[in-house]
Amino acid sequence: MGGSLSVLGAGLAFGLGAIGPGIGVGFVAGKAIEGMARQPEMANKIQTTMFIGMALAEAIALLGFVLAFVLQAAK
Amino acid sequence: MENLGPAVTKLLEELNPFAVLGTGATQGGELAKNAVVLTNYSFFLIVAVALTAIFFLIASRKMSLVPKGIGNIGEWSVEFVRNNIVLDVMGSEGVKYLPFIVTVFFAVLFNNVLGLIPGLKPGTGTLGTTFAWGIMVFVVYNWIGFRKSGFLGYLKSFLPSGTPWWLIPLIYPLEIISHFLRPFTLGVRLYANMYAGHIVLGVFGIFVVMAASALGPVTAVVGGLSLVMQIVMYAFEVFVAFIQAYVFAILTAVYMNGAIHAGSH
Repeated sequence: MGGSLSVLGAGLAFGLGAIGPGIGVGFVAGKAIEGMARQPEMANKIQTTMFIGMALAEAIALLGFVLAFVLQAAK
Repeated sequence: MENLGPAVTKLLEELNPFAVLGTGATQGGELAKNAVVLTNYSFFLIVAVALTAIFFLIASRKMSLVPKGIGNIGEWSVEFVRNNIVLDVMGSEGVKYLPFIVTVFFAVLFNNVLGLIPGLKPGTGTLGTTFAWGIMVFVVYNWIGFRKSGFLGYLKSFLPSGTPWWLIPLIYPLEIISHFLRPFTLGVRLYANMYAGHIVLGVFGIFVVMAASALGPVTAVVGGLSLVMQIVMYAFEVFVAFIQAYVFAILTAVYMNGAIHAGSH
């Protein structure tokens, strides 16, 4: 394989960039479950808000994913 | 496993957004100048949008109080968007914008689901499409905001109420930037989810084929595990296709809701 530093950078860009959002998404889901268990009648509202929060946290990981492709192309 | 590199390269080539559909359009590997061609993705984008239109045209052909057959599915799906996205996020004020959000939701959904059929591609798996949709949402919700609270009123509403005057030059540009990032994140989220899902499925597919072509005790285990993972990931991708359409529509509703209530906070 034509191993160059840009490939290494691409891997690191996604790998390191996924740590934070991973923790964040886990937090969102965990807290949402906590809330739903306490107040099952609010489950629908909590679920909607949970998906919004997850989507916003996830976007950062996906920026790293796109950046990985950009870096890989920059040989 | 040493010939993994070419297989992955071939997979990425297969997913290349600029690959032209059919072979007749290229001459010696070069596109003619100003040639209008379809890429793989734009072809399936058109197919998916046509399917969406056909589905709803058939579903709404014979409307009655008690719908039957496909009309039932159509009514249920519009009701799902109304109850779970529009009413939840925007309240009864948002019902006016229900047609737009239903259109966005089902265009994204049909595109995502079409990509799950082996051999076909999701129209949303390329940045061009998803960025265009993100920009469309951006234009629509800002237009609503300007209509609702006037040109200056809407521009003023970006500031949180009670901001001290000396913080205004700091906060205002940040708020403007965060608004301009919205179409970008909308587009990247949808694109990256669909594209990454396709690559994962493709990579496990490559593992299975390679293990099958060099059958032995080790490759049998690797291939079997890959096949299981392929099925698991496929199920997950079905889930992702729905979730991403849901997230795209719900964020559209959230942004529109912010624009509608721009003057009141």
